[in-house]
Amino acid sequence: MSTDHLQTNHFQTKHISVKRYLPDSSAEPYWQQYELPVDDSTSLLDALNHIKEQLDSTLSYRWSCRMAICGSCGVMVNGIPKLGCKTFLRDYEGEIRIEPLSHFPVQRDLVVDMEIFLEHLAAVKPYLIDDNPVKPYDPKAPETYQQSPEQLARYKQFANCINCGLCYSACPQFGLNPEFLGPAALTLAHRYNLDSRDHGTKQRMTELNRHEGVWSCTFVGFCSKVCPKHVDPAAAVNQSKVESAKHTLIALFKG
Amino acid sequence: MDKSTLQRLPPLKRTWWLKHRFFKLYMVREATVLPLVFFILCLLAGMISLLQGPDSWQGWVAFMGAPIVLLLNLLALIASLFHAATFFVLFPRVMPLRIAGRSLPDQAIVAGQWAGVLVVALLFLWLFGRA
Repeated sequence: MSTDHLQTNHFQTKHISVKRYLPDSSAEPYWQQYELPVDDSTSLLDALNHIKEQLDSTLSYRWSCRMAICGSCGVMVNGIPKLGCKTFLRDYEGEIRIEPLSHFPVQRDLVVDMEIFLEHLAAVKPYLIDDNPVKPYDPKAPETYQQSPEQLARYKQFANCINCGLCYSACPQFGLNPEFLGPAALTLAHRYNLDSRDHGTKQRMTELNRHEGVWSCTFVGFCSKVCPKHVDPAAAVNQSKVESAKHTLIALFKG
Repeated sequence: MDKSTLQRLPPLKRTWWLKHRFFKLYMVREATVLPLVFFILCLLAGMISLLQGPDSWQGWVAFMGAPIVLLLNLLALIASLFHAATFFVLFPRVMPLRIAGRSLPDQAIVAGQWAGVLVVALLFLWLFGRA
């Protein structure tokens, strides 16, 4: 790698427009433009921090880790859901419009209420359920749950979700019906259903089999395009459709 | 957060899909069903006219030869091929196939499906070629 790429250069001035919403002073949201210096390494989160610290301390937004693992800084950039820390202003020419994540109620500026997403997450029981252990627990000789690399590989991709909610802003079905469990919750359900240590599939299937479960998905596929961790939620949801169909068919014959 | 702030947004407008190129492409994929409905109705009319006798059958053959009908059915063919192209790519993501503990590469599954299309097309060419 040549050293040119490591230097921060190409200083220039860019304009970004932020959709402001301050319910204390104005009932309607409005656009505000900021002018700021950027270089090749300026991320959108850096830009928002610059605005907050140097230009306008009233701007509200969420952030924490600035390295795409906490999932806090999701915003719409020119209508596409993105993580602020993983979006670089060098990739944008002309107008840059920043809005709060779509399909969620806005609380203030770029801060949205993600309560419904958290409700949907909790509904699918995204944790290991071991109601029917192979061996009863013996406190004198506790056994760890062992898993082979092959068993891990079956769900590993779907375990990379950081709960940023970008897929919910990308999903028109969630926008049309917020009761739809949505990409991330259904993916996490599938991740635990695929886990060799888990025995909770039966409990999760009652949620997944509903119309607001996997069957509201029409495979638009935009969720997988915007996912910053390449989880491919569209694949997980549609694999769950196959499982749901199997589950229903087996239940039909069992009576 | 206080529970009282929990609110629901109004649902999206009917024009939501005009927002991005990606959504438009999705709607084109879904709309491929429309010319296919026309093709299926043509087939159904053909079966009925076959039952009604030779005069009706000749009328149907003439109808199928009309330029506008040929054009619509050509559109249906293109639409079904486009739908197949998008569907075949999605298939390995929905049903990842595993043989002897190893997952098949996506390209192999996509190529396999196109090979299936080719086999069926050749079979029908052979059947109609003999008639």
